[in-house]
Amino acid sequence: MKKQFVISVMSKDRPGIVADITGTILDLDGDLADLNQSVLGGFFTMILIAEFDAKVTPEDVFAGFSHIQSETRIEANIKELTVPLETFKAELPKETFVVTGQGENRKGLVKIMGDFFNYRNINILDLVTTRDEQLYTMIFQVDLSSIDSVEDLRSELAALAEREQLALVLQHNDIFRATHEIGTPFDQDIRE
Amino acid sequence: MLRSDQIMATVEMIQKENLDVRTVTMGINLLDCRRDTVKDTCDRVEAKIAEKSDKFVETCNKVSMKYGIPVVNKRISVTPASFVGAGFKIHDFVALAKSLDRAAENAGVDILGGFSAQVEKGITDTDREFIASIPQSLEETERLCASINVGSSQKGINMEAVAMMGKTIKDLAERTSANGGFGAAKFVVFCNQPGDNPFMAGAIHGLEEAEVVLNVGVSGPGVIARSLEKTIKKRGKENLKLDDIAEEIKQITFRVTRCGELIGRQVSQELGVEFGVIDLSLAPTPKIGDSVGEILQILGVDVVGAPGSTAILALLNDAVKKGGIFASKAVGGLSGAFIPVMEDAVLADAVGKGALTLEKLEAMTCVCSVGLDMIPIPGDVGADTISAIIADEMALGMINQKTTAVRLIPVPGKTVGEMVSFGGLFGASPIMEVRNVNKSGRFIAWGGRIPAPIHSFKN
Repeated sequence: MKKQFVISVMSKDRPGIVADITGTILDLDGDLADLNQSVLGGFFTMILIAEFDAKVTPEDVFAGFSHIQSETRIEANIKELTVPLETFKAELPKETFVVTGQGENRKGLVKIMGDFFNYRNINILDLVTTRDEQLYTMIFQVDLSSIDSVEDLRSELAALAEREQLALVLQHNDIFRATHEIGTPFDQDIRE
Repeated sequence: MLRSDQIMATVEMIQKENLDVRTVTMGINLLDCRRDTVKDTCDRVEAKIAEKSDKFVETCNKVSMKYGIPVVNKRISVTPASFVGAGFKIHDFVALAKSLDRAAENAGVDILGGFSAQVEKGITDTDREFIASIPQSLEETERLCASINVGSSQKGINMEAVAMMGKTIKDLAERTSANGGFGAAKFVVFCNQPGDNPFMAGAIHGLEEAEVVLNVGVSGPGVIARSLEKTIKKRGKENLKLDDIAEEIKQITFRVTRCGELIGRQVSQELGVEFGVIDLSLAPTPKIGDSVGEILQILGVDVVGAPGSTAILALLNDAVKKGGIFASKAVGGLSGAFIPVMEDAVLADAVGKGALTLEKLEAMTCVCSVGLDMIPIPGDVGADTISAIIADEMALGMINQKTTAVRLIPVPGKTVGEMVSFGGLFGASPIMEVRNVNKSGRFIAWGGRIPAPIHSFKN
């Protein structure tokens, strides 16, 4: 009998941190499934799914992490999966768009956008924000499958932009694929 | 995974640098429209264009809205009219012209191209009737554009046709003298005219083409100009060499072309129409900041026409091709930088300053597409001189195996330095001097053909 853990880890970034964390999992005879890592402001964060023997407990994993030497201690959260994993979809939804927002930095900007999407039942697939001095930039990759009219959404975004003094732009995700990837989004998978 | 720098670079290109798709042109074969009478043929032509273009403009607008990229012009090109109306007389072709004009209006397009003939080797009886019909046809229509191919690298130059072109242009200008000779702005003479060019006034649906195709013209020079300005500011001009500039132009053209390809393929898929080619031409508009001349100034000449202008244009044209060709499955049409004087505010300004001359423009057309384009000249320049200018330009195309074209407007009643304005996309410019007028008559009087060049015999 096997069990699956979802493990999230955060620490100060340094060379070798990936080797140490995955080494701990290997020491417990764990088998890695999906993994995602990111570094932000010098901090390293990773979320992963791994399969272990039934006898392995979250405490065993915590104990393994506690031996890792780092400038800040390894902070981890571990959750055992009780339901089957959602099947990983490499393909983005058909109506994937990107909304970019820029404006003078102030509190609550991401919340404004989050509320806008939530109200319209729009799922955020990916989100990156950066602050460059006083300019705050937000990039939302969103699924517009539930939206009937992109034209209406553009008008609503324009109204929001004016109200909140933000530069908001909605573009189809294929535009970014077309302009930055060697392969093209045409032919086999051009969007209906 | 989102890469914020790439995303913002593309957003900036679309929002601030005015990236668009300059034209989507639907080419329609009309060869099967021939009926027993002229009226039935014209009716069938109108019906077929209506049928094929039924959802054309609507679909372009829909796709444009979805992707957030403007499709500036929606146009139609058709099989050269001289083939469609084989056996027609002058007044029959005028009737066909009016039908094509109505068809364009009904389809919701501003320009329809293909009132055309191909006479690079010989002129048929129909061709003579057709050419004679052009002045009246363009005078009495609004949306129609005409073109004649008088030369090719394979067949040489038909000098009898060239002689006829000078007279046709004069006639066109005089018939439309109330509008500054505007009729001549809708007529262009070609060497090596491509059958898949989406840009007007020279678009036709070539005989080699499928039933219906969509050809796409990429965004204008403004995107390249803004991108170059940004790069020079960011990296410092002391840190850049011309090969770095060429590389920048290649990269931006790649992106611009990909956007055109994306929109074009989506429109063609939705319409169930074959996708033809992407035309990589940088087509300026009179709008400030959408000028090929401005790129030349950014790259180092203080005024267009100064020594160095031809070299910069060569670099620009080549880099645009290299960037675009990998971005698209099929590149065709004219694919280069246009230098239409009236349509490019910086070029028109250089004419006003006396910096840009006809001879310099002719030299520049050796390294770019297409030719002597949208140049207003004094109204008293005679037909023979115009024909001789055409012959020179055709010779450049024939020998260099490239497309060249001439679109001159002899503005009735006006002379060098006076302004002429057609408004909108056709722009404005001071009238350009033509030197050595009335000194080429004996050459034009020969007629016959300039034989095909030696390097055309490759079989």
